[in-house]
Amino acid sequence: MAAERSELLQGTLDLLVLKTLQALGPLHGFGIARRIEQLSQDVLTLNEGTVYTSLLRLQQKCWIASEWGVSENNRRARFYSITKRGTKQLALETENWERIAAVIGRVLALEAKS
Amino acid sequence: MRARVNTLLSQFRALFGQRHAEVEFNQEMQAHLEMLVDKYELEGLSPADALRAAQRQFGNTTLLQQRQREARTTMFFANVWRDVRYGMRQLSKTPVFTGVCVLTLALGVGANTAVFSVMHAVLMKMLPVKDSSHVFYLHTTGWPDGASQTGDSSTSFSYPVYRALRDESGLQEVVAFIPMSFSGKAPVRVGAVPEEAAGDMVSGNYFTGLGVGTELGRGFVVKDEDDHTPVTVISDRFWAKHFQRSRDVLGKPLYIKGVPFAVVGVAAKGFEGTEGRLPLDFWIPLQCRPEFNAWGNPAEDGMYLIQQNFWCMKLMVRAAPGASRGQALARAQTVFDRAAYVGVAPKKAGGETYKISLMDAKQFDSQDDSFSRTLKTLMAMVSLILLIAMSNVVMLLLARNASRQREFSVRLALGAGRRELARQLMTESLLLVTMGGVAAWLLAMVATHALALWAQIGSDLQPDRTVLLFTLGLLLLLALVFGFAPLRSAMASSPEMTLRSSATVSQATQETMRTANAIIVGQIAMCVVLLVGAGLLLGTLRNLLHTPLGQKPEGVLVFGVHPQHMHGKAESIAFYVALQRRLRAIPGVESVSMAGNRPGSGWSNNNSGLLVDGHKPNGTEPGQAEFRGNSVGADFFRTMGVRVIQGRDFVDADTASAPKALVINETFAKQYLGTVDAVGHILSDPDKRESGTVVGVVQDHKYTGITEEARPMIWNDFQQVGPQSELQFEVRVHGKPLAILPAVQKAVSQIDPDMPMLDPQAQSAVFEQSISQQALFARLAGCFGLLAVLLIATGLYGTLAYRVSRRRAEIGVRMALGAQRSQVVWMVLRGSLLLCAAGVVLGVPLAMAAAKGVESSLYGVKALDLASYVVAIVGIGVALLASAIPAGQAASVNPTSALRME
Repeated sequence: MAAERSELLQGTLDLLVLKTLQALGPLHGFGIARRIEQLSQDVLTLNEGTVYTSLLRLQQKCWIASEWGVSENNRRARFYSITKRGTKQLALETENWERIAAVIGRVLALEAKS
Repeated sequence: MRARVNTLLSQFRALFGQRHAEVEFNQEMQAHLEMLVDKYELEGLSPADALRAAQRQFGNTTLLQQRQREARTTMFFANVWRDVRYGMRQLSKTPVFTGVCVLTLALGVGANTAVFSVMHAVLMKMLPVKDSSHVFYLHTTGWPDGASQTGDSSTSFSYPVYRALRDESGLQEVVAFIPMSFSGKAPVRVGAVPEEAAGDMVSGNYFTGLGVGTELGRGFVVKDEDDHTPVTVISDRFWAKHFQRSRDVLGKPLYIKGVPFAVVGVAAKGFEGTEGRLPLDFWIPLQCRPEFNAWGNPAEDGMYLIQQNFWCMKLMVRAAPGASRGQALARAQTVFDRAAYVGVAPKKAGGETYKISLMDAKQFDSQDDSFSRTLKTLMAMVSLILLIAMSNVVMLLLARNASRQREFSVRLALGAGRRELARQLMTESLLLVTMGGVAAWLLAMVATHALALWAQIGSDLQPDRTVLLFTLGLLLLLALVFGFAPLRSAMASSPEMTLRSSATVSQATQETMRTANAIIVGQIAMCVVLLVGAGLLLGTLRNLLHTPLGQKPEGVLVFGVHPQHMHGKAESIAFYVALQRRLRAIPGVESVSMAGNRPGSGWSNNNSGLLVDGHKPNGTEPGQAEFRGNSVGADFFRTMGVRVIQGRDFVDADTASAPKALVINETFAKQYLGTVDAVGHILSDPDKRESGTVVGVVQDHKYTGITEEARPMIWNDFQQVGPQSELQFEVRVHGKPLAILPAVQKAVSQIDPDMPMLDPQAQSAVFEQSISQQALFARLAGCFGLLAVLLIATGLYGTLAYRVSRRRAEIGVRMALGAQRSQVVWMVLRGSLLLCAAGVVLGVPLAMAAAKGVESSLYGVKALDLASYVVAIVGIGVALLASAIPAGQAASVNPTSALRME
C-alpha cells in the first residue's frame, strides 16, 4: 500500500486548496480535507493538519479570506473562500503547472537513444 | 512581490493579536478533530478507535500549533519586538538617565528644527507657484528724477514701465500687484462687522502668470484688468474663516472699502500672495475708482493708472521657457531704459543708469540682510547647542555602558553573539532617539509658532516636508552616533571579565577617559562661544531698551483711521477734526492729536531740497539738504510728551486757511539754521513754490524707531498740506491706554459705523516693536546660553560621578593610607578645573572670532566687550559647581566598605 501512495509535491497543496475553494465555494478546513481526499482517491498521503498551514499561507498572501460560521452539523467553524486576487493567481498557477507537467511528461517519455 | 508584501504586512499585524489567533486556531483544530471523529464513528468505529484514527489522520497537533505560530509572524519581528521590550526595560530601570537623555535631545533637536524651519521658510522656500525657477521678482536700483514712489524703492515701478515690459520685453508674463495701503490692509466687511484684511490689487494675469490654481471658482482673466471688474479671489484661510469653506461662496459680495466685490474664486491652499511676511486675504483686479488708488493714496495725488510718474507697482515676471535669466534680463533692461522716462524729463546725458534685476521667487522677497544674518547666527547657535547636547548624550551612554560591562560579559558568557549585543545597543539608542525625536518635534511646533509671532510673520512657517526631512536626517545621524560610539567599549567585553574585579578593569578605560576629556573641553569651548554671544546680544538689548526716546509714549493710545467715501480734501479735514473733537470729549482723555506716519512704526516722509529765508541753508547746497517729515494735528507734541524748546506746538487755529506753520527739531535748527533760535524763519523748497514759517523748535526725539540716529526733521499741520487718506490718531489718557479703547471705539462708530479702527496699540508698544527683532534675537541667545550652561553642568556631573564611582576602591585605598578628605576632594575637582580651564582657553579666541561675525548686529557694545567675556567665564564657573557633588561623594567614601566591596 505504501508503494501506491505518493508524497505531495512541495507547494502543490496550496494549488489544490485554491482550486477546491474555487470549485466548491466557501468551505471549512475539514471540508477541504475531505474534498482533497476524495479527489485524490487515496493516492496522496496527507496529514490533514497541513491543510491549515496552507490556509494560513494563502490568507497571508490575501488569496483567500475567512470568516466564522456554522457547519452543516452545527459546529462553529471557520469558512474559507477564494478572493478575486486568488482566482487570478489560480489561473496563473494552473497554466504554469500544466506547462511544467507537459515538459516533465515529454522528458520522461523520451526513449533512451544510444 | 505583492504577495510577499501582503505576507509581511499580515505577519506584522499578527504581532498584535498573537494570543487571540492562537485561541482561534485551537478552536478550529478542535472542530476539525471532532468532525473527523464523527466521520469515523459513522463508518462504524468505536468512540475510542474513532478518536485515535482521527488523531492519526490529522497529525501532530502540538507541532502544527508551533508551525502556525512561527508562520503567523516572523522571527524577525519577534526578535525586534523582544529587543525593543528589553531596551525599554533597561531604559526604564534608569529613569534619570533616560529622562536627561530624552530632554537633552528634545531641546537640542527641537531648537534646531524650529530655527531651521523659520530659516527655511524665510530664506529658502520658494513661492508655491508653477515652475518657480522661471519666476522672479523685479527690482530696480533707482527711479528717474521727477518720479514719486512709495518708499518701497527697489520694488516700485510705474504703470508705463509695467505696460512696456508686458508688451515689448519678450518676457512670458509680467505680473503686477499693488498693496491696498501702506500697512497692506484695507477695511472690509463680509457680514455686518467691519474689519481689516490684507489684499493686493493685481494684474489680470496674476494667477495664470504665476501658475497658481484655485480651490474653487476661477482666477482673474485679462478682461478683469481691462474692465476693472469688481470681482475678488479670496485666500483659502479667509474662505475658511469667513465662509466656513462653504462652496456657495461664489457670487457672494465682499465689501472692500465699502464697495461690493463678487467672490469669483478661492486661491489654491498654501498660496497667500507675494508680499512676504504679510499673508494676503484677497485679491482684486486693478481698479480705477478713486478710492482704490495705489497704496491707498488719495486720488487727488493722481491715480496710478494715469499719473505716469507714480512708481507704485510691484512686478513679478516669468521668463519665457528656453530663455536664460541673463537674456531675459538684458531684453527687459532695454525696454525699461526707455519706459522709465515716460511722463518725466528725459534722461540727462551722463546721468545714472538704473539697473533692474531679477530676484528668485522666494516666499519672502530678498529679506533685508539684518534679518537673514540674525537667522543664520541663530542657526549657528542652535547647531552649537546640538553639538553640546549630542556629546553629552554620548558621554552619558559611554559611562552607562561602561558600568554595564558586567552585564555584557554575563550575556556573552551565556552565549549571546556580539552581533546580538550590538543590535541590542543600537535598539536602545534608537529608542532614545525616537523618544527624543518625538519630543523635539512637538517642541519645534510650539517654538516655531512662538518664533513667528515674535518676528511678526503672519504667513505659515510651520515645519513642512523639507524640515521634517532635515529633522529625520539629524535624528538618524544621532542614532548612528549614539549606537556606534558606545559600541567599542561594549565590544571589548569578554566573558572572562566577569571574573575580574572592577578595580582592575578601571585601568583599562584610560582611553575612554581621554576621549571623554576631549569631548568636555570641546563642549566648554562651545559654551564659551555661546555665552559670549549671548552676553553681547543681551548687552545690545539693554542698550536699546534704555535708549532715551525724547518723549513719553506711556499712556498714549494710537490707532489708524481711513475714512471712506470722502470727496475732496476739505471733507476729509472736517472728518478728522470732528473725530478729534469727539475723542477729546471722552472722560479720561488728556489730549488728542494725529499724524500721517505712526511714530515708531518705521514709516517716514523723506524729503530733500530746502531754502532758509530764500538762502542756502547754513552752507549746505539746497538740493543736498535732507530731512524727514511728518504731517500732524493740533496738540501733537503735547500728546506725544515732547518738550517744546522754542515757540509753540500746533494748535487748532492752524487750519488750511491759516499761514503755514512748521515745527522743526533741534538737529534741524542747528544743522540748517545754525541756532536753536529758529522761530520766525521762513523755510521753502528750492523752487519757492511752498513755504512756511517756523513756529516752534522741539527737542530731538525718536521718530521711526529706537535705533534711529537724530536727524533733521520738519513737522507740518496736516490741514495745510496735501490730502491725507489715512491718519494715525494719538490719544493721551490718564491710566492704561488700552483701557480707553471701548470708549474710543464707540466714538468712532458714532461718526462712521463702517469704519474699523486700524491696528490700535499702546504707543509704547509701537516703539518696543521697532526693536522686537533685536529683542527676540537677544532673548533667544540668552536662552541658548543658559541651556548650554545647563547641559555642560549635567555633562560634567554625569561624567565625574561615574568616574568617582569607578575609583571608589582607589579612593578607599588612598584614604586607608592616610589621605585627607580635602585631598580627595581636590583630586576630583582638579580634574574638572583643568578641563574647564582648557575649555576656556580654547573657547575665548573662538568667541572673539564669532563676535566679529555678529558685530553688525550689536548696538552700543563692542565685539571685544570685556564684561561679556567675564560673564561667559563666570557661567562656566557655575557649570563647574556641578562637579562639587561627585567630589563630595568621593570625600565621603568609607575606606573599609569600599575595600570590602572588591
